[in-house]
Amino acid sequence: MSQIKTIHNPIGSLERFLDLLLISLIVYMTLKGGTSGACAACKYQRRRCAADCPLAPYFPAEQPKLFQNVHRLFGVRSIVKILENLDEVQRPEAMKSIIFQSYVRDRNPVHGCLGITQQLQYMIWVAEEELKAVNLQLQLYRNGQNHANSHNMMIHEIGEKQEDLTSQLDLGMGLPVNANQGNNTIPFFSPVSETQPQQQPQMSYCNDVNNNDYNPTPDSCKEILNNHNASSAWGQNQFPFNHHNYGFINQNEHCSETKNNNSVMAIQSQLVNLQMASNKQEEEVDAQNYDEIHQFLEIIDDSQSFTETKEVYASSSGESLKEPIDEIGEKELRRAATCFSLTSVN
Amino acid sequence: MSSSYSNYTNSPCAACKFLRRKCTSDCVFAPYFPPEEPKKFANVHRIFGASNVSKILQEVEPHQREDAVNSLAYEAEARLRDPVYGCVGAISVLQRQVLGLQRELEETNADIMRYASCLGGETTSVYGARRG
Repeated sequence: MSQIKTIHNPIGSLERFLDLLLISLIVYMTLKGGTSGACAACKYQRRRCAADCPLAPYFPAEQPKLFQNVHRLFGVRSIVKILENLDEVQRPEAMKSIIFQSYVRDRNPVHGCLGITQQLQYMIWVAEEELKAVNLQLQLYRNGQNHANSHNMMIHEIGEKQEDLTSQLDLGMGLPVNANQGNNTIPFFSPVSETQPQQQPQMSYCNDVNNNDYNPTPDSCKEILNNHNASSAWGQNQFPFNHHNYGFINQNEHCSETKNNNSVMAIQSQLVNLQMASNKQEEEVDAQNYDEIHQFLEIIDDSQSFTETKEVYASSSGESLKEPIDEIGEKELRRAATCFSLTSVN
Repeated sequence: MSSSYSNYTNSPCAACKFLRRKCTSDCVFAPYFPPEEPKKFANVHRIFGASNVSKILQEVEPHQREDAVNSLAYEAEARLRDPVYGCVGAISVLQRQVLGLQRELEETNADIMRYASCLGGETTSVYGARRG
């Protein structure tokens, strides 16, 4: 029995030795940051990545640049402090926003996220001005349709009255007609009086577009922080760089094309085209490090070109909007005048 | 010694006051964190840390440093108000507004096209009636 024991013990000890060797090897690799060991944060800091490392879930080892950006802007202690004050549920969203903010700061060290905020504010302003112009245009069309309907009725009335007049003239009676009116008999030509007042607001609007200075400031951006509850507007796990159709435009291209085309319709079609172009740009993303972030931010131009182009756009938008509105007014007048001249009383 | 004498008469900047250190003539924070705005530096220091801010300032051109500080102050304040989303929440809100306005523009544009085609048709019919 004792002989059997002596035979088995060396084998058991060998196995134990091998197990210990394996464990020490694993520990060694973990300490050294082995292939599947340390997160990017611990790798960067050259320290052991513990099993309960708070940053490991957010900084995979394959994307070291993400952590470098965050470390450069916030620092490890600050991030850990932020995470400690949040619930488990909120931590992934907080880390996403921190990573995004750091990435933006890396791309634009001067303005960071404030630059994007100001660009968006500018785009909103441009879109609102454009919407005003387009609504005015729509109003003109609506009025034009109403006038077309009333013209049809007027033509019939004039036809009937002409018959009455000729019949009365034949009988020696006449309607009291002002000799000065001639072809410009106004009572039947209501569109002139109705369109003239409408042209004035168009002119004043265009003047406003020319005169308004758009100056986004950090204080105006702070108003957004005050007025909007970001958590309610955020939606569930929605993030700006998850959207693919931002409609953000390269403002250099936008302004040069606006100058050339000079029409509201062209501006709108450009927005649609540039949306499609932004979708194409997304295909060229460096998928290694910044999948979602690139999709959002490649579309955003630098703040320098933004400040250069916004003035150009502000000066050109007024002129571009003015012409189509004037053309519509003139067309209406011509159409109405044509209607009247064919039925005027000589 | 003369530099310290001149700073003795001038009030230290908000950063040096907060950090309780001597504000020298070459203090990197002094031009951008005046003593009248202590909260500005306090926020920035709380979120980003003084050393990170100093490094960022040294990386940008001198004429851009004020803008950099203002943007950092904005982001720090946003992060303090909303620890989860910070200033990125505001970006999301604005982005939704832009999308909403774009949609509205498209709809209005479609209305205009409809009216334009209607008016063109009516004009033709009127002319046709007269000629007929």
